[in-house]
Amino acid sequence: MAVRKLTLQEKDSRLGIKLVLPSVIIIALLIIYPIFYNIYLSFFDVKMNGDAFFIGLKNYANVLTDSTFWSSVGITFFFVISTTFLTTVMGLVVALVMNKKFPLRGLVRSLVLLPYVAPVISTVYSWQFFFDPVNGIFMHVLVDVLHISQSRFNLISDPKYALWVAVVFSMWKAFPFTYLMILSRLQTIDTTLYEAAEIDGAGAIRKFWSITLPELFFVLGSIVLLRFIWNFNKFEEVYLLTDNVKVLSVYTYFKAFTGSLDLGQGSALVVIQFSLLVGLILIYVKKVLKW
Amino acid sequence: MVNNNHRVIKKIGFTILVLLIVLFSIFPFIQMLSTSLKFSWDWGNPSLVPTEINTTAYSEILGLGEEVEIEIPASVQKLLDNTPNLTDEQKNAILAKYTDTSDVFPFFDYFKNSLQFSLTASLCSLLIAIFGAYSIARMKYRGQKIIQRGVLFVYMVGGILLLIPLFKISTTLGLTSSEGGTTFALVIIYIVQTLPVCLYMLGNSFRSIPFSIEEAAFIEGYSRFQTIVRIIIPLSFSAIATVWVYSFMIAWNEYLFASVFLKSYTNMYTLPIALKALFVSKNAIWDRVSAASLLTAVPVVILFMLIQKFLAGNKTEGGVKE
Repeated sequence: MAVRKLTLQEKDSRLGIKLVLPSVIIIALLIIYPIFYNIYLSFFDVKMNGDAFFIGLKNYANVLTDSTFWSSVGITFFFVISTTFLTTVMGLVVALVMNKKFPLRGLVRSLVLLPYVAPVISTVYSWQFFFDPVNGIFMHVLVDVLHISQSRFNLISDPKYALWVAVVFSMWKAFPFTYLMILSRLQTIDTTLYEAAEIDGAGAIRKFWSITLPELFFVLGSIVLLRFIWNFNKFEEVYLLTDNVKVLSVYTYFKAFTGSLDLGQGSALVVIQFSLLVGLILIYVKKVLKW
Repeated sequence: MVNNNHRVIKKIGFTILVLLIVLFSIFPFIQMLSTSLKFSWDWGNPSLVPTEINTTAYSEILGLGEEVEIEIPASVQKLLDNTPNLTDEQKNAILAKYTDTSDVFPFFDYFKNSLQFSLTASLCSLLIAIFGAYSIARMKYRGQKIIQRGVLFVYMVGGILLLIPLFKISTTLGLTSSEGGTTFALVIIYIVQTLPVCLYMLGNSFRSIPFSIEEAAFIEGYSRFQTIVRIIIPLSFSAIATVWVYSFMIAWNEYLFASVFLKSYTNMYTLPIALKALFVSKNAIWDRVSAASLLTAVPVVILFMLIQKFLAGNKTEGGVKE
């Protein structure tokens, strides 16, 4: 009897492996292997015809002595920290609002999802039009209505302002996701906690600090970490809106796929970007996923 | 009385807050619609209501307008007729110069390309993930825990980190030199982009199905495989629909890989890269770009509206990719 059961279990685990194998093979070949292959490539000078010559650490030396690389590291950190902060705050506010009952709430919830759902490419041109120096409403308000500026200017073509536009755009694109995550946690908070607090005479603000925020602590933590990691690798939202904001991803894209097509140096950049992230990913895995 | 006033003010404040949130969310879409319907002389007008409705952008993009007559100069036609030793290929090459339609935006062609890539990738990914996720969630074998955690780890690896090695590998294998190879490479890349999310979300959903239901099925004589197909899949319908929409959206909206892999295959352009190309071309004008933007967003918006009721309350925490 015992022997028979064991073979059944064995049979079952064989089936389990068979079922998961396609997923494992695809992930191994298209994610794990490329990560290592990329490290290998970063030690080579990759020519356009496909030839590659070993050059040791020269790609890294070239990258690290390039001042534009360091400025793009700075821009990346500014972009990531400010978008993470703004997205989380906005998401929290919207989640608190949507958790209350009001007329047409269903419709409002659908409309708020739009920025997140729509392709990046179909939203960037409307944002560009909004800031367009000739036709845009932003310049109209700034110059003709509020008279803050003397003349209309191209906001997005100035890297200093473009960075801010990219931050707000990224927040606009991502806050619905954050709000959904927070809302689904909000809905699981035991309402008796609030009732008890009300009996004790707690006001709305007190209830928020003493019940809501502690209950949300875990989900907020994982959202902040995930947002940080995702935005660190963000490419499309920045690149398609403006090519004046050179975050690391955009810098790498330009290095590897435009002009001299330097895949080797691009690989070195990716290795650096990845190692900057690995620490954070490990924290996420340790704290949030509890390995 | 004071208390009542206080309540009214609070209510008004709350309503204004809701309106501001909605306005912030949908303003770019309203502006898109407005610009797509404006004449070019009306673009500078800050009002969102067009002074006069102009639908040429839509009729041009959707090809509803009158067909442009292909005019081949008489001398060229004569040359073609009187030079019998021209091969068909050469003839077509000459004709192509006169029938060049690069300044119009063949929306439906790009739409079809996008649809083919997104449907193939999302359905393959879903199929692989259903069995993979079931295996990870419900079955026991050596390495199962490592796979479960590994899935979450790879899900942190963004596209830009994989672009260079995947492109180099595809070129080395010779995939990028033919249309078929490029299609294959891009589809499989889209599959792997969506697979970790699918595995994670489906795994969570399968775990929430009480094991006793499965046990009952085993007692009835169902095999594992039958249980998955007849019990698990129907019970997780909402999760499967959500996961499918997510992976469809990821593929539909993807720009980075498409822009590198499809660069030299203009006829295979997906909507995102075609839109970018339209904007940088000399024909880039706001009404057409707005109309094309709006039309590109429509399919994913509709899909999301359909599954919206599954979203809140779904166990997607931390397991959704952008």
